[in-house]
Amino acid sequence: MVDSKHQWKAWLYLAPALVLLLVFTVWPIINTVRLAFLEGYSGMKAAGGATFTFGLENFEKVITYKKFTLTLKNTLLLCVLTVPISTFLALLIAVALNSIKPLQKTLQTIFFLPYVTNSIAIGMVFAAMFNVVGSALGTPNENLTSVGIVNNILQIFTGKDHYVSWINSNSPEWANMFVMTVYIVWNALPFKILVLLGGLQAINKQYYDAAKIDSTPRWRVFTRITVPLLSPMLAYVIITGFIGGFKEYTSIVGVFGDKMGPPDAPGRLNTMVGFIYDSLAQNREGLASAAAIILFGIILVVTFINLWVSKKRVHY
Amino acid sequence: MTTIAEKKLAPSGSNKLSTSSRIRRTIMGIITYAFLLLMALIVIFPFYWMIISSLKTLEEYKLNVPTFWPRLIQLKNYADAFQAANLGRLFLNTAYVGIVSTILSLIITILTAFAFARLEFKGKNALFGFLLATMMIPGELFTITNYQTVNAFNWMDTYTVLIVPFLVSVFYIYLLRQNFLQIPNELYLAAKVDGTSDFKYLWKVMVPLALPTLISITILKMMGAWNSYVWPRLVTKSEDMRLITNGLRGASMKDATGETHFPMQMAAVTMVSFPLFMVFVFLRKYIMSGVSRSGIKG
Amino acid sequence: MHIELRNLTKIFPSRNKKSGEEVIAVNDFSFTIPDGQLIGLLGPSGCGKSTTLYMISGLQKPSGGQIFFGDEDVTEVAPEDRGIGLVFQNYALYPHLTVKQNILFPLQNLRGKDKMTKEAMIERAYQVAKLVQIDELMDRKPSELSGGQQQRVAIARALAKMPRVLLLDEPLSNLDARLRLQTREEIRRIQKETGITTVFVTHDQEEAMSISDMIVVMKLGVLQQIGKPQEVYNDPANLFVAKFLGTPPINIFKGTVRGGKLFIGESAVLDVPGVADQDVHVGIRPEGFVLDANGPLTCQLSNVEVMGRDVSIVCSSEASENPIIRAIIDADDRLAISGNTVAFSLKPHKVFLFGAQDEKRIRPSEVK
Repeated sequence: MVDSKHQWKAWLYLAPALVLLLVFTVWPIINTVRLAFLEGYSGMKAAGGATFTFGLENFEKVITYKKFTLTLKNTLLLCVLTVPISTFLALLIAVALNSIKPLQKTLQTIFFLPYVTNSIAIGMVFAAMFNVVGSALGTPNENLTSVGIVNNILQIFTGKDHYVSWINSNSPEWANMFVMTVYIVWNALPFKILVLLGGLQAINKQYYDAAKIDSTPRWRVFTRITVPLLSPMLAYVIITGFIGGFKEYTSIVGVFGDKMGPPDAPGRLNTMVGFIYDSLAQNREGLASAAAIILFGIILVVTFINLWVSKKRVHY
Repeated sequence: MTTIAEKKLAPSGSNKLSTSSRIRRTIMGIITYAFLLLMALIVIFPFYWMIISSLKTLEEYKLNVPTFWPRLIQLKNYADAFQAANLGRLFLNTAYVGIVSTILSLIITILTAFAFARLEFKGKNALFGFLLATMMIPGELFTITNYQTVNAFNWMDTYTVLIVPFLVSVFYIYLLRQNFLQIPNELYLAAKVDGTSDFKYLWKVMVPLALPTLISITILKMMGAWNSYVWPRLVTKSEDMRLITNGLRGASMKDATGETHFPMQMAAVTMVSFPLFMVFVFLRKYIMSGVSRSGIKG
Repeated sequence: MHIELRNLTKIFPSRNKKSGEEVIAVNDFSFTIPDGQLIGLLGPSGCGKSTTLYMISGLQKPSGGQIFFGDEDVTEVAPEDRGIGLVFQNYALYPHLTVKQNILFPLQNLRGKDKMTKEAMIERAYQVAKLVQIDELMDRKPSELSGGQQQRVAIARALAKMPRVLLLDEPLSNLDARLRLQTREEIRRIQKETGITTVFVTHDQEEAMSISDMIVVMKLGVLQQIGKPQEVYNDPANLFVAKFLGTPPINIFKGTVRGGKLFIGESAVLDVPGVADQDVHVGIRPEGFVLDANGPLTCQLSNVEVMGRDVSIVCSSEASENPIIRAIIDADDRLAISGNTVAFSLKPHKVFLFGAQDEKRIRPSEVK
């Protein structure tokens, strides 16, 4: 509308953000790509005067590295487990919440509670809930033992002496993964419920009235009206869920600590982000950069697949 | 599970309903509530367990048959945890970093969002598109180089390193720009006719009108400082420069036999979680409105 | 102070850079607005009337031409230095400020010799508030006001600076029918009381006709006609102006001029001395018909609408360019209608001829 001849003024407003973005966003993009292609780059060695040649060595190393393939497997497994489960549960809860009147606000508040938490702190609470303490670990002299509240609850069904070592030494990998899945799903629910409930409340009630007049069965209303009309929101929570899943790290630190695994098997649950930080801590920036770019690549591919699928499936 | 339709139509059509369908409806209602209450219980249980565990003695905690209410309330756990995890210092650090970075971040976000929403300059759309594109890139990719950069700047172990690299958030700029764009253009033109400078218009009209968004940003930013873990661990060597979450995970809270003192640990966790609960209780609607547009935690 | 627009032109660059087509919003526009008058800029949407208003305000810069306020060339002067008040279509009241704060807002921007003391500002605010009769609402927020009240606040805010020119963009379009009538009288009164040269933009010809001292009719960025409302109505310069003014709208027929007589269909309806033989558009105002059993113009009756004092006869004819013809006659004459056909004779001064191609007015040398 207004003819502006004072372009420089706009740049003045932008200046602080642009300077910071150049240093902490644009330069890292360029530099990280550069480091990824400098063979065996290490900041420490570089400071010592070493030079590096361009090549694909970092990428080759990363993908053949057993430690990395393990993190890739863990990350994928967590994504595949947690995203569908949390999305489905969130959808059920959102639809249920949307259908009730008394207690709706209260329950909505409770379901949002896990969002406003520190994922390390609550991870520690989950660790405590699954932890086996005392002689159950094998010290016969201990007379005070606890197998953890989760085992206690399970014992109601499985019998008094049965328990699972979830996160302690000698714990099986599936048990570790189970704990992480429960925690990550628990953590992911509030955001998804919030978005899906918002979507549900935006659906025009007339569709339901029309369906009612046609005496459409309840499940058909759900699959033919609710889910299609909610599909943009579903696509959104699934995409953000996958992106978050691929960046999973702190929740595992919360439950298992920096070791990323039970005491006798450190690194067992390490993720791609964990690998990047480990490499960084070992001054292997080239390796870290290559891993970061691979992570970015995977996120891009998964996002595009999701968008492509939702283009076919999402009914706007 | 019932849907909205039932609820809406129940009064008008209820007298015509057959008994069997009325029974079916009642059963669905019971199932719905049972499901929701069970889920709510699961969601809330960790918080309950955290608090009661923090009040138990270590002996009671280890009891074979768990107690659901502490027999002897052990507030000493809190004092011990406060000391062991260096929480006092870390609270102050986190508050300082949180407040300073929030204020600076708000100023930068307001100026930038204003330029993108209201001012005209060459390449505006291209630049904004580029900024949005950077949101796709995982933060870890930046961390690697930023780690080197702050090293080169000699910022290690300072407050600066905890504040400056994260002052600009494209997401906040996006959020605020959207809000600014909703303010009718006529207000700007009216102000122009009255001789209001851009700067005065920004502070006198746009900022007050965008206050809810600014509050959302403030909360998210403060929560970000409160929850940040990786970066401070990476760039601070001394325990005194770390932030609250680092202290939580890093502190050793063992009993005499070298085993983890869980009640103490839970006390520390409760203390760290408490401010977040307060924020949740009093400012929930601002967080919810900010969050539903993001998908990014903290 | 009068306002003069000289060869004012506004060209918007094309949205689509490749096609490169420019939009000429205002094309070589010249006219003078006399001091102290209320002027209606009138035209259908997209005719460039709002662009013209914004150029007068300085919010948009002309691509060519000049704007004078009195003898001062203000073409390059910033909006805030032109001494104008502008009322927006949606009022643009600051929603977070009270009515008083809204009115004070422009005053607080005054700098240098215009700077006012706080007391003077408040006094001024109450003065203009009284003028528009909102002095009792000063502590309310805009959201607590009705549309009409918001409109008054917007006018008060525009008047607070004592502008040399008051500009109103579609001032009545957001009000309901009853308020619109009331508010347009109000605008008229305020303008008369203050004597400020006022320009307002509207697409509603009735609105423009009812309160303007002068109307300026525009179409596609080109000035069509300027004059006192009744003059423009009674003497349209072209077919567009004739069609645009008047409710019910003018009736248009296909006609031919042969030997100084105007033919509609096969019957000669009027003498048009001095007009060369040609095909023409014939515009007849609804009030230009006279029921006359022997009249030359006949049409098929479809409906008679009684509107109190008047009767509106709806009929159709092969020669009409519109599906229906509407004639307004005195209610007492209704009795003369019978059968399926009505016949009219015409009032010559309500009949206008326009060129078949250029649609410009053709004036007979003497109309009897």
